Amino acid sequence: MANTQRNFMVPIEDLLIHDLYVLVALAEQQSDSERLKQGITQVLSIIDGQHQPWLNGMDLLEDAQQSKHLLSTGCERIDFLLQGGLREGHLTELVGPSSSGKTQVCLQVASNVAKEYSGSVVFFDTGNSFSPKRIEQIVGQLSDHSDIESNKLIEQVMNNIVCHPVFDIFTLLDVLHQLESKLRSQGGSKVRLLIVDSISSLITPILGGSGAQDTDLLVLCGESAGHALMISAGFLLKELARRHNLSAVVTNHMVSGEGGTLKPALGESWKSMPHVRLHLFRDSKSSICNMSILRHPYINLQLIIEDGWLTFEIERKYKILSSRGPPMDTKSKLEYRLKHWQPVASVGNNYLEQYAN
Amino acid sequence: SFMIVGVVDKGHKAVLKPEDKLKISENEALEILKAASHGCRLDSFEGSHAIVNGAQTAWEMLHDEAMLTRITTSCTDLDNILGGGISCKEVTEIGGVPGIGKTQFGYLFAILDFCINLELLLLLRGNRNYRIQLAVNVQIPADYGGLGGKAIYIDTEGSFMVERAMQIAEACIKDMLEYDGLLRKDSQTRHLKMQPKELLGNIFYFRICSYTEQIAMINFLEKFVSEHKDVKVVIIDSITLHFRQDFDDMALRTRVLSGMALKLMKLAKTFSLAVVLLNQVTTKYSEGSFHLSLALGDSWSHACTNRVILYWNGNERYAYIDKSPSLRSASAPYSVLYNFAVLCNHASRKLGEI
Repeated sequence: MANTQRNFMVPIEDLLIHDLYVLVALAEQQSDSERLKQGITQVLSIIDGQHQPWLNGMDLLEDAQQSKHLLSTGCERIDFLLQGGLREGHLTELVGPSSSGKTQVCLQVASNVAKEYSGSVVFFDTGNSFSPKRIEQIVGQLSDHSDIESNKLIEQVMNNIVCHPVFDIFTLLDVLHQLESKLRSQGGSKVRLLIVDSISSLITPILGGSGAQDTDLLVLCGESAGHALMISAGFLLKELARRHNLSAVVTNHMVSGEGGTLKPALGESWKSMPHVRLHLFRDSKSSICNMSILRHPYINLQLIIEDGWLTFEIERKYKILSSRGPPMDTKSKLEYRLKHWQPVASVGNNYLEQYAN
Repeated sequence: SFMIVGVVDKGHKAVLKPEDKLKISENEALEILKAASHGCRLDSFEGSHAIVNGAQTAWEMLHDEAMLTRITTSCTDLDNILGGGISCKEVTEIGGVPGIGKTQFGYLFAILDFCINLELLLLLRGNRNYRIQLAVNVQIPADYGGLGGKAIYIDTEGSFMVERAMQIAEACIKDMLEYDGLLRKDSQTRHLKMQPKELLGNIFYFRICSYTEQIAMINFLEKFVSEHKDVKVVIIDSITLHFRQDFDDMALRTRVLSGMALKLMKLAKTFSLAVVLLNQVTTKYSEGSFHLSLALGDSWSHACTNRVILYWNGNERYAYIDKSPSLRSASAPYSVLYNFAVLCNHASRKLGEI
């Protein structure tokens, strides 16, 4: 280390290579190393600002209990299925075939959250399907005030919902970054809910393959860039949800899988990205939509209904049997479980009382 | 050469000292400044109340939507289920079997967006008493109250027939003259000197023969519409023809189609156009039976905002709203007539069908 007459200086490489605490200790020994100490403090504060400090389980539990509330969706049965509603800090995915009700659920949840909770709702719309008229209808249905009051209420609620059209993935990432820096700097404005409808139409044009025939985006970015953009969008949404205590909702469509069945778009890597995956389907030509849980951090394993426990035990039995017989593929297991989950959404009030006792 | 006085970061700490001189040209310096201000715009919006730059609240959008005109289908039943007509900020897909009248809708939107609005049509199509009542109640528009717009017709099948379009244009002008006579008896009459050729002259027609041309066309549309600001409707007939065969790489087809769908959505929103896509049907086997569904299947089904399916019910033609964010599912009957493109069912029995 070079010593000058007036200042104790350290070359930059040493600062990066050596242990900071050793350097600090060394600096302490020198009497006139104020600038070095300042520099080290500055570097440490920049690093802490970029990355989260370590958290232990108790901190996380406290955070989950105090800051991550449940947002009611405005539909009793969906709230019952989700044990309260959408959780702040979670990324929820609604997946289903065309016109199965995904946008309607998004509009419903947006209206209810804007009405019941303080804070705004941000809606990113990729298919021009955000309908202010429909929102007005829903808010009118949700409230039961007299005409004069309800007009003011509708105006207030609708001023809390903000819609931004996005037509490519780069705009989405840009606008999410903007939102993040806005939330970080201004303490005042609070966002409760973030909806992207639909994220799959932004990602399908760039996902997969490369070649001379591809669209301009893919030619510029290369083969795996589409994949990387999808994952970064997912991570950005999850980080926004966790850090700023909001709930993120995305919609996804379905593509044909093996044997004529439908499977969610965006492939295998996206499967593990959302915390909660909800599958919507509509019986052909009827107006009743069904929703079932494909994936959830804690609901499947809990004893919420006796049927759920029964499914789990039968699965274990199948596992024992399958070591002798043919292997049980995951599809039939999932179907069996889905069949059992369907009654969840249609359970009536008297069942709830039974369970409460 | 420019001298940069200093560059500061967000924390107002000098990064480059004034002593550093950059030898760059004026254009380059302007570009750098533009990029830098673009990157730093996050700071400049601290005073703005919008959560996200470029967003609108739902309340503002509700009022904007009320002022948007809709393109009528000239059939009141259909207009009722469509909430007044085809919306001017959305992509609407119309699908049906061949011969049901999809192309008629195409002609109709191309011509009607220029001259007629809904009130006028209600006036002309309704019965005598309704007409008189409306004549009294309706505000006389400053001009003919139409959108005054031009249309872009993209033809992939070659099914656009100029003679039929001429027929429709003539019928349209006849109706406008009738309106002229009916309403402006008392006030100064404005003589309509419009020729059918003028109406046809407002349609930009493009013929597409392959999928590469189609992709190129859609990419070109944005530039074209920004140069011709009076275009109000884009009709594509039919959107899926060139993608149903000759595509070996299905993954590529999905990417291209979804990219196309996004571009059309953006076009509709940015320029407040109505984009109308006409689509063919195919048979699909599911749940043990064959039924008709739109071509290109599930991957294309989410590419439109609204979807209307045309089908035969016995001897009558019906339209059904299959997908819409704000309209209820409903069906309405319509007919195709020789002197006009479509008409409501109750009147068609008198005039005879095609």
